[in-house]
Amino acid sequence: MLRIQNVEVIYSDVILVLKGVGLEVPANRIVALLGANGAGKTTTLKAISGVLRTELGEVTDGSIEFEGTRIDGMNPEEIVRLGVVQVMEGRRLFEHLTVEENLLVGAYLRKDKEGILRDLEKAHGYFPRLKDLGRRTSGYLSGGERQMLVMGRALMADPKTMLLDEPSMGLSPIMVKEIFRVIQTINEQEGVSILLVEQNARIALGISERAYVMENGRIVLDGPSEKLIENADIKEFYLGLSDKGKRRSYRDVKHYRRRKRWLG
Amino acid sequence: MNELVQLIVLGLMEGGLYAMVAAAIVLVFKSTHVVSLAHGQLMAFGALAFWFVLVKLDMPVPVAVILALAFSAMLGWTTERFAMRPLIGQPLFAAFLTTFAVFLMMDGIFQLMLKGESVSFAAHLPKGNVMMMGVSLPITQLVSFGSCLVLFLGLALFFRYTKVGLGMRATAEDHQLAQSTGITVRSIFSHIWVLSAVVATIGGVSLANVMDIYYPLPYLGIKGLIVALVGGLESLTGALLAGLLLGILENVSAGYLDPVVGGGVKEVAAYVLLLLVLLIKPYGLLGLVRIERI
Ligand SMILES: Nc1ncnc2c1ncn2[C@@H]1O[C@H](COP(=O)(O)OP(=O)(O)OP(=O)(O)O)[C@@H](O)[C@H]1O
Ligand SMILES: [Mg+2]
Repeated sequence: MLRIQNVEVIYSDVILVLKGVGLEVPANRIVALLGANGAGKTTTLKAISGVLRTELGEVTDGSIEFEGTRIDGMNPEEIVRLGVVQVMEGRRLFEHLTVEENLLVGAYLRKDKEGILRDLEKAHGYFPRLKDLGRRTSGYLSGGERQMLVMGRALMADPKTMLLDEPSMGLSPIMVKEIFRVIQTINEQEGVSILLVEQNARIALGISERAYVMENGRIVLDGPSEKLIENADIKEFYLGLSDKGKRRSYRDVKHYRRRKRWLG
Repeated sequence: MNELVQLIVLGLMEGGLYAMVAAAIVLVFKSTHVVSLAHGQLMAFGALAFWFVLVKLDMPVPVAVILALAFSAMLGWTTERFAMRPLIGQPLFAAFLTTFAVFLMMDGIFQLMLKGESVSFAAHLPKGNVMMMGVSLPITQLVSFGSCLVLFLGLALFFRYTKVGLGMRATAEDHQLAQSTGITVRSIFSHIWVLSAVVATIGGVSLANVMDIYYPLPYLGIKGLIVALVGGLESLTGALLAGLLLGILENVSAGYLDPVVGGGVKEVAAYVLLLLVLLIKPYGLLGLVRIERI
């Protein structure tokens, strides 16, 4: 179980970005985190994985716990060792390394040679394309292949929890479907819990059990995903549907944002 | 004709020496993005340590090699731990200036220890000449060139086949991403300084094998930096190519032009090469090619 309570994050000592965020990711579950651009979703993931400090960001209040251990303040490699692995936004690869080398970097902390080989097989099982591309320089991969590679790399760490940042960004609908199918399979077969940050609310709510909506550094809405799908605001803001099932103009959406801000 | 061959071969050998010093600088730059001036001193101190064990303590060559390398590893570790690490997260320019400060400080110690004298260990190593390709070559040069080739081969294998090598290459590409995959970037920095100090020492000992250890030795680090720049700062192959190129250029140009202009050509050849290469290829001969998909 990953539990975040009342977390506040400040960049460069002055920029307050998270203003008391709380959420929970129970073991073996998929939890979605939605929100507009700049709401602080990526910052939340970075606070969990500990890479915030390389950007002069700091958790200044609240706590982050994984399986009962406080992890805020730990180094990123210690957090990976505990089993929490972030797949960063934008599908960042080690572009000059081959596909296989990228996968092996994912297992950098591990010493069990056999386990690593087994997990390499497993990653190839989830993404057969990666096996064919093994010796290819990864910088030349397509967007879909990159997404497979970054997820395969995260699997190589033998994680208990994966933090996925916008896996669907810029992918074709078919590829999005495929990626989300694999996310679901990984969750079911490996028992890996997943915190999923997405702009594609429909598909994220479709596979998650619970969802949180973030705005301006705060959680403004949360609940079981099937309830949120029914929620009128979510419908308007993310799915672009009004009560009557019609598309609404951006002005109405803005109206929703103002209201939320005022309430929050 | 024979004279030209002689000049080229000697140039190659000398170029190998520059290449080793450049390699040490490239290693640090690739992983930490810091341009280091300190390596001229790391190289000179390594050579001095080798001389001390071999001549002063009168130990056999293998012992001197091992002790000198161990000493330089320690020196590299210390430099990283106490001079560079406190600057992680600060502007790279601050780190660059710190390497200059380290250079100056170590230069003081180096000159103090030598007291203006020059020392040499060549007398304790095999001497003589061998004929190769119709050119007469000093054994010392051949040994130095041999260590250069072995060193570059060793580095290539190290980066390709070891785990730490893989971690270093990953770190070289993206510090934050490397951290997020569980690599301890700090310890990679430390390893890389140790490795580069060892490489610099192998270069320094090889250099001191063909020239004496005296006050200008550390300043050959500047030449190493020029070679690294010509090669592209990020590429070991580039460092090797640029080193060999400079060695040949220096010797050939000096061989033909010195009688005409009255000497000194060797001293400027490096700077002319640097200017020319950077004019044509601003990122150096083998500067990192950004991967761009079309
Ligand atoms: N290193 C940083 N220094 C200062 N401010 C930052 C830094 N990183 C992010 N921010 C700011 O924090 C806010 C939240 O950014 P974050 O990347 O977490 O948003 P996000 O919800 O992931 O948005 P998107 O959907 O566009 O990815 C933004 O206003 C951003 O400008
Ligand atoms: Mg984001």
